[in-house]
Amino acid sequence: MNLKKVRKLLHERCAISAVISNVILAGAVITVSFVVLFWAQYRSSAYNEQYSEAVNADIAKLKERLAFEYVFYDKANLTVYLLNCGTIDNVTVQTVYIYFSSNGTLVKVFSSPTLKQFNDAQIADQDLDEGEEGYFVLSPLSLETGVSYSVRVITGRGSKFDYTFIA
Amino acid sequence: MRKLIVNAKGFSSVIGTTFMVLVMLILASSVFLWTLSQNTEYFQTVKEKNQLEVDRLNERLSAENVTYTGSGGKISIEIDVRNACPLFVNLTTLWVFDANVGNYGINDTLNIGLKPGETLSLRGSKAINVIINGSDASHIFNSWFITARGNAIPLKENIIVAQVAQGIGSIAMDLKQFRYYIVQNNNDGTDIGTPYYSFTLDGNKYTLLCVTLVNLDPSHQTINLTKYSYIWAVTPFAETLKSDTWAIRKVVNNKLASFDFQILEYGKPTTVYFGATQASRSQGNVVPLFILLFGKIGNADYGQNIPFIAIHVT
Repeated sequence: MNLKKVRKLLHERCAISAVISNVILAGAVITVSFVVLFWAQYRSSAYNEQYSEAVNADIAKLKERLAFEYVFYDKANLTVYLLNCGTIDNVTVQTVYIYFSSNGTLVKVFSSPTLKQFNDAQIADQDLDEGEEGYFVLSPLSLETGVSYSVRVITGRGSKFDYTFIA
Repeated sequence: MRKLIVNAKGFSSVIGTTFMVLVMLILASSVFLWTLSQNTEYFQTVKEKNQLEVDRLNERLSAENVTYTGSGGKISIEIDVRNACPLFVNLTTLWVFDANVGNYGINDTLNIGLKPGETLSLRGSKAINVIINGSDASHIFNSWFITARGNAIPLKENIIVAQVAQGIGSIAMDLKQFRYYIVQNNNDGTDIGTPYYSFTLDGNKYTLLCVTLVNLDPSHQTINLTKYSYIWAVTPFAETLKSDTWAIRKVVNNKLASFDFQILEYGKPTTVYFGATQASRSQGNVVPLFILLFGKIGNADYGQNIPFIAIHVT
């Protein structure tokens, strides 16, 4: 009986093509849809990750705060004493700019100065944790005594802190 | 629906559309929720930072009645500290600058906590010790505390100094630091050489007078001296007025330079130069010197005359 039906179906192929084509079309649509879903999900998670990194970087930058305890110039050395009074650890000093405070003319730029503790021991991890104090010496630096200068500290996270002093 | 089941030609389109809508819904909602959480975190941080800034600005501390004792480089500082703000204040470091030797000392092991309204008298065994090479208690000091919030709290002189400042003027002079230089001429760029700590000077030579001034203004305002500041000498017993004047001057890198202005920050001993002048009119006399200081304190005019020393002009 079944064999008879199959034979009949094979002889009359009009209906077979419609079923197969519908199955193939539906399968293709489902496959493509899943591919699109996964691709879109991958793209959106990549976007989320980038956005998250950007926001976290901004948050970390906001939490940074350096206080200048004292800036002392003597014999071509400028000593800058800092306190990390922010709410985040690992504040590094990336770049230090010295410029005239009267007209903003740049005097000198220093990169990654060596951070030391107040007892003159070098800070091992070269960063200031929350509440930690430290200093760095900029040398050689020729400043005119009695003239007002500004020092700008740029941290590794990109925050900037300014202080004006008279050499 | 029945038509769709009977004729399945549009079925794939329905599936496709359903998937598309699902994809859009899933993606949009996940991105929206994620962004919302990130923004919430960011604004929370901004809020915390603003609160910290407000706390930092509201930090009020008075450090008064300071006395310096000791010698041989070991200086002991006695002081009364009062927390005048509604916040807990933690003192982390004490800085002491000795203006006479141009050196400073630090004590960064304080960790003194002050509750709102609390007063601490750091005297006797509680006095704070600082090591400054070559320092002595008779020197001029400029000191300040650093709080955990990053504020610098200057140590105020005792009440007598404040009253003197109110009575005779905000600028004080250190008599021991008076010195003069003999220079070749009065031109910019002339090297000033080494100082003479003496009250006898040669009236035939150009002399540059040097004094150390301290701004003790009770309201802690900065004083900006203008070019109308002088030192002048007047000869006694002369039938007509004979005077010599030394105009305020700048010295940059030990060389004479043109004067623009001179800022005197509160509590900071500042070296101020006058001259160079040949005191020929005062020759042969012992003459009194006066410092005429004129400028601005804050936005207001400021003028003060300090009669300070006598010199013998030969």
